[in-house]
Amino acid sequence: MNRYALVGVGAATGFALAVTLFPAAHGSSDLSAYRQLDLFSDAFEKTRAAYVRPVEDKELVNNAIEGMVSSLDPHSSYMDAKTFADMQIQTKGEFGGLGIEVTMEDGLVKVISPIDDTPAAKAGIKTGDFIAAIDSTPIQGMALNDAIDKMRGANGTKVTLTILRPGAKKPFDVTLTRAVIRVDSVKFHREGDVGYIRLTAFNEKTDSGMQRAVRELRTQIGGGLKGYVLDLRNNPGGLLDQATAVSDDLLNNGEIVSTRGRHPDDTQRYNAHSGDITDGKPIVVLVNGGTASASEIVAGALQDHKRATVVGMTSFGKGSVQTIIPLGEGGGALRLTTARYYTPSGHSIQAMGIVPDVAVAQGGDDDAPKITRPSEADLPGHLAGEGGKKQSQSVIRPAPGKKYDDFQLSYALDLLRGHMTVSSVVKSAEAN
Amino acid sequence: MKGLALAGVSAVAAFAATCAVYQLARADATAELDRFGKAYAVVRASYVEQPQDSDLVEGAISGMLSNLDPHSSYFDPRTFAAMQVKTEGQYGGVGLVIGLEESLVRVIQPIDDTPASKAGIKAGDHILSIDGKLMTGVKLDDVQDKLRGPAGTKVTLTILRDGVKDPFDLTLVRQVIAVEAVTEKRVGDVGYIKIPAFNERTSTGVRSAVQALQKQGSIKGYVVDLRDDGGGLLDQAIAVSDDFLDGGEIVSVRGRHKEDTQRFNAQPGDIVQGKPLIVLVNGGSASASEIVAGALQDHRRATIVGTVSFGKGSVQTVIPLDEGRAGALHITTARYYTPSGRSIQTTGIAPDVGVAEDATDVNDFQSLIGREADLPRHLAAEGPAVKSDVASVIRPDPAKRYDDFQLSYAIDLLHGTASRPKRSREADAANTGRD
Repeated sequence: MNRYALVGVGAATGFALAVTLFPAAHGSSDLSAYRQLDLFSDAFEKTRAAYVRPVEDKELVNNAIEGMVSSLDPHSSYMDAKTFADMQIQTKGEFGGLGIEVTMEDGLVKVISPIDDTPAAKAGIKTGDFIAAIDSTPIQGMALNDAIDKMRGANGTKVTLTILRPGAKKPFDVTLTRAVIRVDSVKFHREGDVGYIRLTAFNEKTDSGMQRAVRELRTQIGGGLKGYVLDLRNNPGGLLDQATAVSDDLLNNGEIVSTRGRHPDDTQRYNAHSGDITDGKPIVVLVNGGTASASEIVAGALQDHKRATVVGMTSFGKGSVQTIIPLGEGGGALRLTTARYYTPSGHSIQAMGIVPDVAVAQGGDDDAPKITRPSEADLPGHLAGEGGKKQSQSVIRPAPGKKYDDFQLSYALDLLRGHMTVSSVVKSAEAN
Repeated sequence: MKGLALAGVSAVAAFAATCAVYQLARADATAELDRFGKAYAVVRASYVEQPQDSDLVEGAISGMLSNLDPHSSYFDPRTFAAMQVKTEGQYGGVGLVIGLEESLVRVIQPIDDTPASKAGIKAGDHILSIDGKLMTGVKLDDVQDKLRGPAGTKVTLTILRDGVKDPFDLTLVRQVIAVEAVTEKRVGDVGYIKIPAFNERTSTGVRSAVQALQKQGSIKGYVVDLRDDGGGLLDQAIAVSDDFLDGGEIVSVRGRHKEDTQRFNAQPGDIVQGKPLIVLVNGGSASASEIVAGALQDHRRATIVGTVSFGKGSVQTVIPLDEGRAGALHITTARYYTPSGRSIQTTGIAPDVGVAEDATDVNDFQSLIGREADLPRHLAAEGPAVKSDVASVIRPDPAKRYDDFQLSYAIDLLHGTASRPKRSREADAANTGRD
């Protein structure tokens, strides 16, 4: 009897909140919300009473929230209190690491490579070293993620690694001081008279890196600079504000992207400010099936404004925005899909992706990129696209027998130089 | 708003003040429920699309349960209904095994002696529509739902057949389709009984199998084949064990609280009058199968032959929500123990005579199919670690060909012509370190 009374209270509390947070709900909607919440309380009570061993209430609810949120779409998830705290430290830049890329081999952590200019590189850790213990805790039997967790910690704290080095007689200890590790997201070099800029992700430093790359390339190439290749292939995205900033760098005005939530008043529009850091030089943007999210915003904005020619293969199609919503003290946080991205012309990127202006395959055999790489539309439970249709188009591919280091880049360079004389280029679907 | 709700909590908590510990646990539970309510409200308010409240809660219950252990899960209302049909061992259907092919429904196989096979439906036929509803781009589950219905009702299929120009209609009368029935055969003077699963008709199936075998002449002994029998209903496992036992405990089911322990005992009467019995098990023998094998082994009623069983020694209970309208919880509520007090969880039933299926390594084979102990988040074993590896395993001579080496061995054993390994049950018992 008591139990049921309490169940009712629990449900009512949640319900009260539901109503407060969702004032638009009335009548039958409230009733359904209440009934469903009551149902959950009932399931929770029955489980904690009948399960074969005692289970923490917190564990049950964490798993329930995770189950609820992750059933929505592939990008919504729940972060428990610890994961959320870690994430906060990480985004504040206070999260320290050692600067090594590692893998698991024979139950030990193996160093793939130390990243230049990090504590690991400075301490002389080498490619091929094995990490046998972290702070004297043996690695054997530990999951790779747990080992990585142990190496991370607050910036400035110390960690001791026990290293097994092939050729060295005995394991030895190395003590390192954790530091903030920033992987540079902008890489650039000169391709003759063309500036090549590759963005590998969108983090806090991407826009400033982009601006620096353009400045340095201008200095290096000088007056004969024909244009730029902005390579967004395999860039999975990152921060929205960095995507809009990078787009703004190359646009003089107009809308960059809009994010639209469930309610029309949630729509946010981001506009470009005058000023083009490349002074209007031609730009080719390279995309492929690994180009997602923030990368698709940039490609879509530059394409819609006819500021760049988009070359490559159709992008991934992740056109949804996730918002981190904390659930209060110690409650963790939701990472929830709250809106869709729309390009300036009103195309939703979701599940459709950005279709290149010139479809160019990387090799002769990647005509079916879906087989090797899934796109958003292949993820189970993906959010449906809205409006628009994937067009089929003819794909340019290297002539069989010809070898290119990077055919898509070669094509982009030819396009900028205005001589489409790559003899090998064949239009495979000319009939279309 | 929240303050008010919390005041409500303490008022009711005071009402429950008779048990302080309970109250503390309750306060914690209420706070956690509150946290869930908050997440639920946020999702309802902020998700990019208007979510269905029932979808959210189904996702939540499913997430809560499936993280407990590999056997706990949530049955949504549809699954729950379908599952009831399945454990009853019968449903009204037409007897088709179907698959999807390029968004068309394709007949993989009509089951013998069912309305579908009698009406001449063939493997490779495509089902264009059911009762006039087009079946393109549909989910397999939905097609199955449409084919099923109460026995005696009619269903019309529009069939597209290779070589036939136009689609044509066939009207079938749904019939009860028996699933996973007990089968028997005589192998010389040995009665062989195969139990593929434990559903509501298994125990009657075993009894009629024994009767059928006995009618055909005198029987030297029986082989009960539990290989690849993944289990099913506990009461059926008990009934089948009881069929072969005269008395004593069959199994005990022990939950979280001591007073929840249930013991199931055999009634006098052995349907095969004490004739020698061999039970075949392998890594696919799980749960209810392990109860039967464990009970007959502990009472020395049968010789267990084969390879170590799966090791699923946990009991799941189906707890309907809202009388089943909201589906049901399917959660692990207890462990079961053989009469001698062994928990089967993760250790499995070790055969008395280890006999491999073929000449290849048994362990390799088992690592392929996996055992309970390999499942993520499996419930840990309780009590002393029992090593259930079989010390010596008899394998077929690689030069010889056997249809079913384990069965051949079992039959030889009943005839007294099999070579028994040196290892004995006594040695096995010593290995377990029990007192």
